[in-house]
Amino acid sequence: MAEANTNTSWAGDTFGTTWMHETLIKMLRWIDVRIIYAFVAVFVVPVTLIVSPGARVIYHYFRRVWKFSVLKSVGATYRNHYIFSQVIIDRFAIWSGKKYNISVEGEEVFQRLDSQPEGFVQLSAHVGNYEVAGYHLSSKLKRFNALVFSGEKATVMENRNRMFADRNMRMISSCVDMSHIFELDNALTSGEIVSMPADRMLGSTKSVTKEFLGLPAKFPLGPFNIATMRGYNVIAVNVVKVKWNAYAIRVVDLPYDKEASRREQVAQLSEAYVRELERVVRKYPYQWFNFHEFWEEPKA
Amino acid sequence: MVNEELINELKGHIINALHLEDITPDDIENDAPLFGDGLGLDSIDALELIVMLEKKYGIRIANPAEGKSIFKSVNSIAEYVDSHK
Repeated sequence: MAEANTNTSWAGDTFGTTWMHETLIKMLRWIDVRIIYAFVAVFVVPVTLIVSPGARVIYHYFRRVWKFSVLKSVGATYRNHYIFSQVIIDRFAIWSGKKYNISVEGEEVFQRLDSQPEGFVQLSAHVGNYEVAGYHLSSKLKRFNALVFSGEKATVMENRNRMFADRNMRMISSCVDMSHIFELDNALTSGEIVSMPADRMLGSTKSVTKEFLGLPAKFPLGPFNIATMRGYNVIAVNVVKVKWNAYAIRVVDLPYDKEASRREQVAQLSEAYVRELERVVRKYPYQWFNFHEFWEEPKA
Repeated sequence: MVNEELINELKGHIINALHLEDITPDDIENDAPLFGDGLGLDSIDALELIVMLEKKYGIRIANPAEGKSIFKSVNSIAEYVDSHK
């Protein structure tokens, strides 16, 4: 296990102004979501491919990780951005009241931990549409604390808060002074659930290097450190889009030896997380939405 | 004024808790800042120190603002431990 100080943080928020978000929500109350998909496919995604730095990152992802040809990588980047647009539109569609078909694999894993008095950690990733999990994996007993990007737009935060208002859920924004880490720890010691992404730097710059899809990549050390610090149980939750109107949620246990040294615990837990993430991304390569250079550059 | 024994004990615990293999207790000055320019620790490390204080001394710090002044240096941690033992 390697630890390092890196500077791979990425500030990403939902595209558009508050007016645009509110207009989209109103439109989606009346219009079939596929009409918006078609509009975006023709008029928005091609422009995004030209102006967005994320497009270059995803192109590299298909070239380096998937070893696609130049032409195939361009097509794959378009497809990735098109699905990502659909996921964003779906998010607004849900806020407007539209329903999606959701299947859940491993719900019993969540319920087993939910029924225990101790807090537990739920690790997510920038794959598919994780927010959908929040509407379906809700706890009856424990407060759910989700670590979110602090720079997100007001409309997005307001609608999230409105949708989750009756679900005993709290959004914890990542802060520059990293006070969010203490809030997460306090939540866990109070027997609550803490959800955080483990594939992007938020706050601390310490990382753990793992072989991911055949190449070394840096994962943030923080989530694994917080989880193992007091020996909490950990699950991985990933949500992928499987049809235009359907999502699949997968919940798995991430086991680690709680009697081992802390360093070994972090190594085991991060390994379990990365292997699960790899399984999901191998099956849904076009739903990798981590728009920053994630893999280490090859040594010259 | 806290005793040298406690300070040395704390330095050992800090090195173990944060896996600072390349550092010996003598490398850590009693008044040097632990975060930022000093040992270069961050909040994840602060959380490790909070857990260390709980495990070794039975002291719980729940307020992150309080943590900032406590974890300023080895001396400030020692003073806090000494007054809460």
